[in-house]
This record gives sequence, C-alpha cells and structure tokens, in this order.
Amino acid sequence: MSAMSEIPLPHPAKRVVPWWLLRHETMLAVILLIALVVLGGLNSRFLTLDNLLNQGRLTTEVGLIALPMTFIIITGGIDLSVGSIVGFCAILLGYSWKVFGFPLPLAICFTLLAGAAAGFLNGIVITRVKVPPLIMTIATLALYRGLAEGISQARSVRGYPEWFYFIGQENLFGVPAQLWLLLIAIVVAAIVLDRTTFGRSLYAIGNNETAARFSGLPVDRVKLIIYTLSGFMAGLSACVLVSRVTTTRSDMGMGYELDVIAAVVLGGTSIFGGVGTIWGTVVGLAMIQLLKNGLALTGVKGDATIVVIGTVLILSTLVASSLQRRREGV
Amino acid sequence: MTTDPHSETPAAPVLLVRAIEKSFPGVRALSGVSFDAARGEVHALLGENGAGKSTLIKIVSGVFPPDRGEVLVDGRQVDLARPDDARRAGIATIYQELLLFPELTVAENIFMGHVPRAALGRIDWRAMHEKTNALLASLEIHDLRADRVVGSLSVGNRQRVEILRALSQDARILIMDEPTAALTEYDVTRLFDIVRKLKARGVAVIYISHRLDEIFEIADRVTVLRDGAHVATKRVADTDAADLVQLMVGRRIESLFPKITVPIGQPVLEVKDLERRPLTKNVSLTVCAGEIVGLSGLVGSGRSELAQTIFGVTPADNGEIRIAGQKVDIRSPAQARSLGVAYVPEDRGTQGLVRPMTVRENFSLAALGKVAFGGFIDRGAERKLAGDGVKRFAVKTSSLEQIAGKLSGGNQQKIVLGKWLANGPKLLILDEPTRGIDVGAKAEIHRLMGELAAQGLAILMISSELPEVLGMSDRVLVMREGRIVAEFSREEVTQESIGAAMMGSRENAEKAA
Repeated sequence: MSAMSEIPLPHPAKRVVPWWLLRHETMLAVILLIALVVLGGLNSRFLTLDNLLNQGRLTTEVGLIALPMTFIIITGGIDLSVGSIVGFCAILLGYSWKVFGFPLPLAICFTLLAGAAAGFLNGIVITRVKVPPLIMTIATLALYRGLAEGISQARSVRGYPEWFYFIGQENLFGVPAQLWLLLIAIVVAAIVLDRTTFGRSLYAIGNNETAARFSGLPVDRVKLIIYTLSGFMAGLSACVLVSRVTTTRSDMGMGYELDVIAAVVLGGTSIFGGVGTIWGTVVGLAMIQLLKNGLALTGVKGDATIVVIGTVLILSTLVASSLQRRREGV
Repeated sequence: MTTDPHSETPAAPVLLVRAIEKSFPGVRALSGVSFDAARGEVHALLGENGAGKSTLIKIVSGVFPPDRGEVLVDGRQVDLARPDDARRAGIATIYQELLLFPELTVAENIFMGHVPRAALGRIDWRAMHEKTNALLASLEIHDLRADRVVGSLSVGNRQRVEILRALSQDARILIMDEPTAALTEYDVTRLFDIVRKLKARGVAVIYISHRLDEIFEIADRVTVLRDGAHVATKRVADTDAADLVQLMVGRRIESLFPKITVPIGQPVLEVKDLERRPLTKNVSLTVCAGEIVGLSGLVGSGRSELAQTIFGVTPADNGEIRIAGQKVDIRSPAQARSLGVAYVPEDRGTQGLVRPMTVRENFSLAALGKVAFGGFIDRGAERKLAGDGVKRFAVKTSSLEQIAGKLSGGNQQKIVLGKWLANGPKLLILDEPTRGIDVGAKAEIHRLMGELAAQGLAILMISSELPEVLGMSDRVLVMREGRIVAEFSREEVTQESIGAAMMGSRENAEKAA
C-alpha cells in the first residue's frame, strides 16, 4: 500500500547550477533578453525608450487583469469572464455618464463597483454552489458580454471630458500614466503573494484544498476575495482602456481572457495550481507584448506573429516541464 | 522464528510462491518470501502496513515482476509479466478500490473483455445474461439482477460483481485485499457466505485483512509478514490473537504503549446529544485534561465524522459542545482552532499535509497567526517555529526547505502533529495517528502522546488498532452506526469486550438473516 509512495527519495542530483538559475522565471527572462537583442538588431526603432514605454502603455490593460488572474490560477481556479467584464464595465462607464448623467468620477466609481460585483457573483457561485470555476466563468463570459451588448444597443459613447484622457494618453514623469498604475499594482500584488498569510493561503489552497480547510484557513473567503478582485481589476482595466481609445463599444476586451491566461501561464504559473509568482507573470506579459511589437516592426505579418507567440508558449511549457522533472530528480 | 510454511499444507498447493525478492529505490520490500495456497483453502495474509503484503499480491497478480524468485501454479512455473498473464493462469485479484464501470450493467461488467460472441463478432446478449444468471444462481445470490447498472449498487453488491467477474474467468485463485474495509457488518456476513461457497468449490482464497476476528472466522491458515520477510505460517486453529499480534509487531505490546498515569483534571471537551446526520447520532462524551480517551469502532461507524463535527468541518445539526466549560457553536475549522481544538486527520496525504509545500510552510500553516503581524509573515519567526518543531518531534529532514511529501510517512505524521501543537491547543483529536507508519515512528508518537497528556492536554484518539487503543487509553469509547454503544475504564477493558461492542449488530444481522 503506502510502502512505495512514502519512501524518502534520495536527494535530487547534485546541483551544478544555482537553483535560481533553474527557475522558470529566470529562464524566461533570459529568453526575453535574447529576443530583445535579436529584435533590436533587426530593427533600430525597436529598442528605443519611446517604443518600449509605448508598449508598456499598450500592455497595461491586460497586465492589470493578469495580476489577480495569477492569484486565481495559483489556487487552481480560472476566470474566463474577465474580457466580458471589461466590455460590460466599459459600457457601464459610458452609459452611466451619458445616460444617467453621473459626473464622470462617480461613473468611474460605479464602474469599478460593478466590476467587483461581477467578480463577486462568480466567486459566490463557485464557493457556495460548488460550480467549477471553468464552467461558472464560461457562463458569465457569455452573460456579461450579452449584458454589455444589450445595454449599449450597438451605440458607442464618445466625447469624454479632456482630463479623463490623462490616464490613457498622457505621461507622468516621462512614463505613460497608466503604467504607474500597473507598476504600483505589480508591487502590491508581489508583496501580498510573497509576504502575507493571504498569499500563503493561495498556495496552500492550490496545492491541497482539503488540507488547507483542515488547517483552519478560510478557503471560501479567500476564493471570494480573489474572484471579486479579478472583477474589480477588469473594471479598472476598462476605465484605462476607454481613456486610451476615447470611446466605448460593447466588444471591448473581447479575447482578453486568453491574452491574460497566456501571460500568466507563460510566466510559469501552473494551471493545476500551487505554483506561480507575480514576477513570472510580469516577464510573461513583457514577453508577449514585445514579441508582438518586435515582430510587427520587423515586418512580420499579424498572422505569423500569432504563430510565433503560440510556438513560444509551447516551447516554454516544454522547458518548464523538463525543469520540473529535473527539480524532482526523476 | 521462521516455521516451515509448507509443513501443514492441507492439499497440493495450487499456488506456490518461492523465495520472492523485490526492491524499490531506497527500500527492500520483500526479502525471500515464500507462500502457498491449496485448493479449497482460505489463507490469510497478515502484517502491518509496509510489511510487504501489497507487494506480494501485486507480484502474484502480475502488476510488477519480482527481482528474484518464482511463482508456480499447479506445479508449473508461470511468468507473470502483465496482469493479463495472471488472469490466464487463473489468478484474480479484488482490490480495495473496486475496478468496475459504474455506467454499465452487472452483466456487462462481469463479461467486460471476454463477452460471449455471436455470428459476425456481434455481442451475444442472450448468452451473456444467461451466463450471468447462472453465476448468480451458483452463489445463491437472489437479490442482484443482471441488468442493474453497477453505479446504483451498494459497495457490498459491487464487490459481489467483482467476485462473479473473477469466477466468469474461471479463476481458481482469488486474492482479496482488505475486502471488508468499506463494508457494513451485514455485507460482511454475506461476503463470508460467498467465500465459504467458493471454498467448497475448490477455489483457493488469499485473504488480506487487518481484522484479527475475521481471520479467526474465515481462514484456515495464516501467514504473517514483517518488514518484507516471512515470519510464520500457522494453522488458525493453532494460534490466537495475542500470538499473531506479537508475530506482526515483533515485540511485546506493553513496550509499545507507554501511557504514563497522570492526574486527570477538569473536563475540556463536553459533548451532549450531538447530531449530524447521517453518521453522528445522539453522541455524548467527555474528555478531561490529562486524559487520553480512545475511540474505537469499525470503519464506517462514524468516528471520523464525529471528530469532524466537533472540529467544525461538518458543523452539528443539533446538540451541545462545551470547551473548558464554555458552551460553543463551532461552524468552521478556523473557529475550532481559535477555541483550542486541534484535529490531526486520518488521511495524512489529502487532509493533513500539503505535500508539495516545504516542511517550514507545513509547520506554520495552522499557526500562521502566530508568526504573522498585520497579515505579514515574519520569516524569521516562521523559521524558528518550524525549526523548534523539527527539533521537538525529531523530524528527520535535510532542511526546513525540504518538500514535505518526500519525507517518510512517520516524519510526515510528526509534521502534521507538530503543526497543530504549535497553536498550543487544549484538546487534541487524533484520527488514526499511527496508520501506515513504521514501528519506530509509532513508538515515538505514542511517547509524545503520553508527554502531552502529562502536560494537561486532553486527547481524543480514534484508532482501529485495538492494541493501540488498549495500550494508550485511560478510557475507551466504542462507536457503532453513529452512536456510542459502550464505555470501558482502563482497568476493565479487553480486546474481547471492545470487539463485542464494535460488532454488536453483526450478531443481530446474523439472527435476522
């Protein structure tokens, strides 16, 4: 019975390289650097501060959502409804400002609350009714997008006050304004995940939910918080997006869920839960955005870019699993 | 110590296993084990967890080959490279987890892989049902229909389907791995009826069980394994329970269970009329400071369910719980923890330990509040907590950053115990605290329990091992079908009295049948 599984295995093979070099995130960062150098060599416009900062601007909307998504995937869950929440929130922002006549700051608060409520609904059904996250969020993916389309009636809202475009289009201390938002969010998320009891609970839940429960961790409350947070950040992302593109349409954020999950998984977070870092997600985000941009600047067509990104994802998964085997000494 | 296993074979052995050796990386599972079984014989295989029983039957059923040694069926050597080879040789194995297709019918399950064929390779459904009915009739099973879907059957009936499946392949050697572990007492009597019929038909049955009373009821001979070696083979009529236990553990029981007598203090846990359907019915009990109360009963009698109700995993529907005299309404493990209740669960791998996480992280998991300030974990305090735990419980680990799942079962159990004691609980509920761990670690855990009780901790210990219950407990409670049916003091308790209380309803079932 247990004789086989509980043998203390001999120690993993002698380490010739330091452990941190073998980490998925480090490997990915190295690949990223190589890609930067190669793409920079191919096109002189790529490795310029202006271009890189602009790419940061473009990746903020996906990045803001990727942070709570990292939390969720670490617990072994998933949230596919984030793209639809972006669309839903964008529409609510325009609608509440134009039709309800809310002052814009109030409309923004209302939008953020609506995003949080959308995420809360996901969380409450997942924890109380025990619907698997995949199924629940596929359902709300359709639901929230449908609401967005229903409310907007295919009309877009434009003509926001000038100050609102600051977040999406201006610079603060020479850096795109929304990038500050993302940077702060990254630092907070990284500290929460690495240093707090909340972060520790996420890993424990992802590795063994039953044991986490039996250890007295508030498993359901933690899950409710992260799905709510995911909705909130999708709402924030919607505001940034609307500010950047100056209009709201119901198809905004379409397909974001896949970009977000790709960045998180590329960054080494295990889709089975229990493993992952914010730092990995950040490298994953940068990788995808810079590959897209670098290839585009080098004259690679859009279709080919997607092929390259898909290939990079597969390769990184292979590297990750071979590293995993190596770590476990099998 | 070793007696000749072949000295008293009742008839020519249909199965003969000679000098089997098998090693896995880092452990020698079997060293020169011999074993045999004769036609019409029930031969019990006995041993502690890790003694090599499972390895032996896996070799005989072709799951993996031995490193050395041979297996003979009807005197001819057979090469059992795959499970299919064993099936061809007439060996069938019924594992604890039944391997059936829940969506298919009884008949389809029985004939899966060898269906009767009609012309053009079509399935001959008529023949399949007729054969199934014939099999059912031959074992005098009248309450099982061939067209029932297996998923809708009780565990006992599913097990019967597995037995029929074995018979449909003309198995002459039937291996049963702890067949009664998940059965109700009524199903156990029915299983024994079938085993007796198989015996009468000349099938050799190899019967693995931890329950000594079953061995005395059903087996003809018994072979005891310990630490991968053959210890003894005896006729059941020539031995008794104490003898078998001593053969299994290899030392006097007394030396294993050093419960120190300490003064018993105030009640820590008082439970009155606790209800949580379906398995906790009207339970009342008290555990005092310094006291170890043993909770005995068969698997499925509701012991773990009771513990998890007290611990708030499945909160009570009715009844009253008092902790240190204070009436409490425990709705979650977190709340139980803050009230000073600790629960070391039965299933270490899925409930107790987060195996992929490190020793340090496991130690602090239930006591994160102790090492965190304002939600931020103090790494230094956490390392100290884990380091102290490793020292106090003598956990053998290369470092605090070792992955907990890679340690041995005994060391894992010490971590689970340690992570709860880090909280300084008043009441410790231990569910099968020494299951599946080696004898040395077991003795250490028993020693710790004695120490903790001496420090004034109240301990409620659930255990299926009667010697452990007898050795460690100040008082013994026996559960049956969700109720506490008997209570014994340390002085009056015996293996027989616990056994009788545990089984109670089996005799009733026999009378009813």
